[in-house]
Amino acid sequence: MLKRLAIAIAILGSLPIVALAHGPSRQKVSETVEINAPADKVWAVIGNFQDMSWHPAIAKTEGKGGNDVNATRTLTLKNGGTIEEQLDKYNATDHFYAYEITKVDVKVLPINDYSSRITVTANGDKSTVEWHGAFYRGYMLNDPPPELSDEVAVNAVTGIYKDGLVALKKKIEGGS
Amino acid sequence: MPGLARCRVALCALALNGAGSAAIASEALTTNQPADSLSFVDLATMKEVVRIEIGGKPAGIALSPDRTKAYVTAPDSKELVEVDATARRVTRHLVLGGAPLGIAAHPTRPELYVADWFAHKIIVVDTTKLAVIAEIPVGQSPSGIAITPDGKLLFSADRDSNSVSIVDIATRTRLQSVAVGERPFGITIDDEGTRAYTANVKSDDVTVIDIAARKVIGRVATGRRPYAVALARGRGFVTDQYGGTVTVFDQVKLVPIKTIEACDHPEGIATDTLAANVYVACWGDDVLLRLDPGALTVTGKATVGDGPRAFGKFLR
Repeated sequence: MLKRLAIAIAILGSLPIVALAHGPSRQKVSETVEINAPADKVWAVIGNFQDMSWHPAIAKTEGKGGNDVNATRTLTLKNGGTIEEQLDKYNATDHFYAYEITKVDVKVLPINDYSSRITVTANGDKSTVEWHGAFYRGYMLNDPPPELSDEVAVNAVTGIYKDGLVALKKKIEGGS
Repeated sequence: MPGLARCRVALCALALNGAGSAAIASEALTTNQPADSLSFVDLATMKEVVRIEIGGKPAGIALSPDRTKAYVTAPDSKELVEVDATARRVTRHLVLGGAPLGIAAHPTRPELYVADWFAHKIIVVDTTKLAVIAEIPVGQSPSGIAITPDGKLLFSADRDSNSVSIVDIATRTRLQSVAVGERPFGITIDDEGTRAYTANVKSDDVTVIDIAARKVIGRVATGRRPYAVALARGRGFVTDQYGGTVTVFDQVKLVPIKTIEACDHPEGIATDTLAANVYVACWGDDVLLRLDPGALTVTGKATVGDGPRAFGKFLR
């Protein structure tokens, strides 16, 4: 029992990248929305890593480093949870940025090793926003409890993306 | 480590004259993890020609020295899966248990080496009988495996020990370990057998080990979350998973020389026999990219199954 516990702690503590080795494999989620506005206008709303107020679940964004690679931010959710993130890539010309979650409790978001990218693609006078993520479920060993399964993780991230993109569309189209 | 990968120039030329298609990599085999499949990509046309079912969330891959068989690790089903690469069908399964991930084939012996991430050992598999014949304890969570071209030494990247184990293949003993960067994952040995390169996921760098001296001789900074390393034309090519890039470095000066914009979550990377091209499996975009190692540009792209990882030697 002690040995098993020690192994579990060692594994959880090291946030394995190769979590697939213990049952879970990395999951993918991708959501898109078409917005009736030019890409520059959409980018003006979501292109600032230090301001995620466009997402309805976010109460506050606090961070440092602006939009430079390695910039950090802490998102405080309206339900009180926090998510710490880091910017990995930022391209204002091509309208995309990539970031990762550096710290989150699985009670706030039931995932591990999350990385993501948001891209705005011009489509004439319209734009397409794509938000996609890569992550493992919240439980890194075999036989996850129901609340930390692959399905729960995928549903949670899908819900965040959908809610965010719907709100983004509404905010931009409603204000134009 | 197929023999052709280390052929001398003269021998390569002979091989080309004699049997061109065998000398130049003609196919890439990508393990498509979420899709449970293996894609065969024709490299002349950069088109996927067939996709076969593997199961078990396939990740690692190795080829027999004559490149007629592929061996795939399936961590979810805890199996080793043998594929007839010519007939393009699964031929045998071997349940290994634990968590098989990294895999390499011996250049001459009928042996495979599989890293068991959970049990912290290297499993030796006889490919004739497809049976386990030995186990070699190494460090914590061995990931990538590489074998010296002379077939004498095996190097395993022991991810959670932040070190590399050096194993004597003949005696099945771990000779020593060498401390590297944080969380080494992929490991690659050059064709001359002089150096080993590890991609260190957490410290965002590559550690260079002198094989004869068994010592670290340098480090090269990479993009975020480097996964694996390929070598071509005096340069190293590193897939940066979170960076979405391939970091190129000079093998002599050990400094980065370019960052190539690649794709979403680039992972497995390999160089063809004549170092004419470098191929990258893109987990996020479901494509295989072709890079020109001279011009340092992306020159081709092939759609494959969902979530290619291609962790190992995947060109035949």
